[in-house]
Amino acid sequence: MHDLACPEISFDSCLKCNACVVSCPVSNVTLDFGGPKHLGPELKRLIENQEFIDDSRIEFCTLCGNCDMACPENVNVSTLTAFAKASHSELGGSKFRDLILSNAELVGKVASTFAPLANMAMKMKPVRKVMEGVMGIPAERIFPEYRFNNFNRVYNKTTANTHRKVAYFVGCYATYNAPEVAKSFVNVMEYNGIEVAKPKQKCCGVPMFSNGRMKKGLKNANDNVNNLLQYTRQGYDVVLTCTSCTMALKKEYVSFLQSEEANELAEHVYDADEYLRMLYEEGELNTHFGQMNVKAGYYAPCHMKSQGIGTPALDVLGLIPGYEISDAAAGCCGQCGTFGFKKEKYEVSIAIGKQMVEAVEETGADYIVTECGMCKNSMHQLTDKEVKHPMQILSEAYEKAQNR
Amino acid sequence: MAQIIETQVVVIGGGVTGTGVLRDLAIRGIKAVLVEQEDLGYGTSTRNHGLLHSGSRYVVKDKDAAEEAYRENLILKKILPGVIEETGGIYVKVPEDDDDYVKQWVKANKEIGIPIEEIPVSQALEEEPYLNRKIEAAFRTPDGSIDPFMTLVDVVGDAVSRGAKVLTYHKVVGMITKQNKITGVIVRNHYTGEETEIYADMVINAAGPWAGKVAELAGIPLQMINNKGMLVVFNRRFHKQGLFRLRKPGDAEIFVPGHNVSLFGTTGINTDDPDDTSLDRQEMEGMLAEGMMLVPSIHELRIIRAFSGNRPLYQESADADPTGRNVTRGLALLDHQKRDGVEGFITITGGKLTTFRYMAEVTVDLALEKLGISVPCTSHEEIVPHREANEFFKEVEMAPAAKHKLRNWAGPRAKAIESELKKEETNAVICECEQVTWAEVQSVIPEEGHFNIGDIRCRTRLGMGPCQGTFCNYRVAAIAVEKGVTTSEHADQALRDAINERKKGIGVAATGETAKQLQLMETIYRVSLGLREEEEQHV
Repeated sequence: MHDLACPEISFDSCLKCNACVVSCPVSNVTLDFGGPKHLGPELKRLIENQEFIDDSRIEFCTLCGNCDMACPENVNVSTLTAFAKASHSELGGSKFRDLILSNAELVGKVASTFAPLANMAMKMKPVRKVMEGVMGIPAERIFPEYRFNNFNRVYNKTTANTHRKVAYFVGCYATYNAPEVAKSFVNVMEYNGIEVAKPKQKCCGVPMFSNGRMKKGLKNANDNVNNLLQYTRQGYDVVLTCTSCTMALKKEYVSFLQSEEANELAEHVYDADEYLRMLYEEGELNTHFGQMNVKAGYYAPCHMKSQGIGTPALDVLGLIPGYEISDAAAGCCGQCGTFGFKKEKYEVSIAIGKQMVEAVEETGADYIVTECGMCKNSMHQLTDKEVKHPMQILSEAYEKAQNR
Repeated sequence: MAQIIETQVVVIGGGVTGTGVLRDLAIRGIKAVLVEQEDLGYGTSTRNHGLLHSGSRYVVKDKDAAEEAYRENLILKKILPGVIEETGGIYVKVPEDDDDYVKQWVKANKEIGIPIEEIPVSQALEEEPYLNRKIEAAFRTPDGSIDPFMTLVDVVGDAVSRGAKVLTYHKVVGMITKQNKITGVIVRNHYTGEETEIYADMVINAAGPWAGKVAELAGIPLQMINNKGMLVVFNRRFHKQGLFRLRKPGDAEIFVPGHNVSLFGTTGINTDDPDDTSLDRQEMEGMLAEGMMLVPSIHELRIIRAFSGNRPLYQESADADPTGRNVTRGLALLDHQKRDGVEGFITITGGKLTTFRYMAEVTVDLALEKLGISVPCTSHEEIVPHREANEFFKEVEMAPAAKHKLRNWAGPRAKAIESELKKEETNAVICECEQVTWAEVQSVIPEEGHFNIGDIRCRTRLGMGPCQGTFCNYRVAAIAVEKGVTTSEHADQALRDAINERKKGIGVAATGETAKQLQLMETIYRVSLGLREEEEQHV
């Protein structure tokens, strides 16, 4: 019926305790989703060596990974739901819209080439109405803008020669939508005497996994593992500024591919702030920051939480003199990658985002700091707060110290 | 004053043998009443692998039993289509097993005509990745998986639809005799204590491990060999086919997939008390150690519970073998008129789940011969209504997994369940592990019967999954009270009984995840719901 073998057997440990259900942002706002326990470990058990059961409600799983963190028994819930999504798509076929949305890299290439036009079109109501009707992309949903001068056009360094060497996995968002984040990251590394190489890379696969395009995603995963291992084996550390890409490299590649190579790579993968925090702990971080009298609020993306490394952005930004930053502790943004771009999910997406809006407004911050471009998109839609990536702030703080 | 029922035949014992006899009688147009001390299948009938034997296991030592099993295997696949999974079996030889036995076994299968097929070891390992990589030979057999719970319910349902009567929770407390003839039985209601006299021309003792006790009521000495065997239930169905060890039948060498789990066993120890279904941790450890020969990773697989049952074996010259392995698995039909000079009384015992229909056939043949009635047996041609219900539930909104289950389960109850599902505001699943909804539970609660969660479990699989009722048992009790099915006092008792019964089976297997599951269950029931230890009842 479908030839995707899910190698996961951790479902054997499920105690049915519902911790995953309670932690699920989607289950918290709608009963239309069967919940992570049922669509993950429970369903897997019911189909093992038996007839396959297709449950279309799996489309509501965003693969945020909160369930994995909540599980007291270390069941890889989101791996099970990812494979359930894949089987569901294989059986029913992917919608044209989902094929487009899951191909963030291709869309990025095309849209950034025609950036001014594309951005304008996405803001035109008639265009959006047609997109809603034809493709099921809600007209109300704001889209991130694309940049003509994408990061690939401006940065082509493929090697580094410093003591510590960073192989930067840029990710589609920082490449095509937010090259300023990528540039800030390179700056920050420069201030620390670390050269940044940009290895050959493909979309991390997260948008594919979440749209059930497992095979395509695994192909990208394998390519990235092979490309990046060439760097790590030469002493490079793989560092990322996108929390979703980071989670893919650290966690999803490991549990989806179940290969030695994926395990090997994962040991060398760092979130950018996690990396800086490590430098600080080793006494290697340049702490020569300029004074910044700002009151900021931090919003942790789900894919940061699901890495289980705490909130390194808070740890690092807290080192800037005068910089006051508090955790909004605001749950999920509701955008959830491509999820919020889908008409039939829009209502749920906005409902999930509500608590974020409240928490963000409670902080009374000048602006919000978050790593994730999609969370930023949701915040743009639902609040009037400006949103910055931690690397932009750190870069600014280093520059301030320089100009003093 | 006692109630009185008059009928032609009384069948004692609501196991698969008794229900088979009842159905056979009903098919032949004989009025009959079945009495059972507890619920259907309280004894041996639900305390087994659920293995539909191909006969292969007995070919070398007991050709008759093997032939009988194979013939019945084919018949049951035809007449009980909804309760059998034709999984097939794989017999494998591990290095420790005797080569000569394999040769004898292959030859004996051929002689009887059981279609076995040797397959390459590599293929067996590909099909069943949990098998020992060191196996040296593998053979396919037509073994299958039969659900004993469904079988009982369907066989009884068929009998009742043909006019038979069933009294569960009615224990036989005395025989009604007239000179040297048994003319009826006195039964006592388990819940009310009320007694009923049932008069009949013939009483058939199909009480399994209790057959000796029943015979004793008739003043007949009958020495049963009750052979206790232990089994464990794995949390998941980790293999597709039945897995067997190709050697002289012994302990701990059969794995049978059934629904969402796998069952593994057994052991064999003779016991005097038919009610003895005690569980021993050491016995289980020994069984698992032996099981490693077939499935080396057996200790990594989660066991959700263990249970034991008594094989009611019988042979005229009692054997001194304490393991019972050498006692025939063939049936024993005792004509007490010939044997003991008591008329109107027959005992049927021994045999296998697989051969229950044949056991019923020969029993009823004998009974009718004695009654001077001549109606041929057709129970091998009459098909029990199928469990499939694919034409139903199309427009019902519910979890696909729960719907999938109903479509393979609801059978004749489908229409009632469907209309209930359409009425309900929510079709929320009560038992998540096994995907059971309230509508399904309601359809199996007897109208005038007692609210008993164990009885619901046997008919729906409620509480049979990994959590063993941790979450569904209190839900079902609460909903039952809310719906007016039972009082809160009865529901409390039912909950206590059900949880204690589950705890017994989990407790012996409680290591790792299962220990945590038990802890979670105890926390919910004792701490959150306040069910206290000292109020525990023996179950």
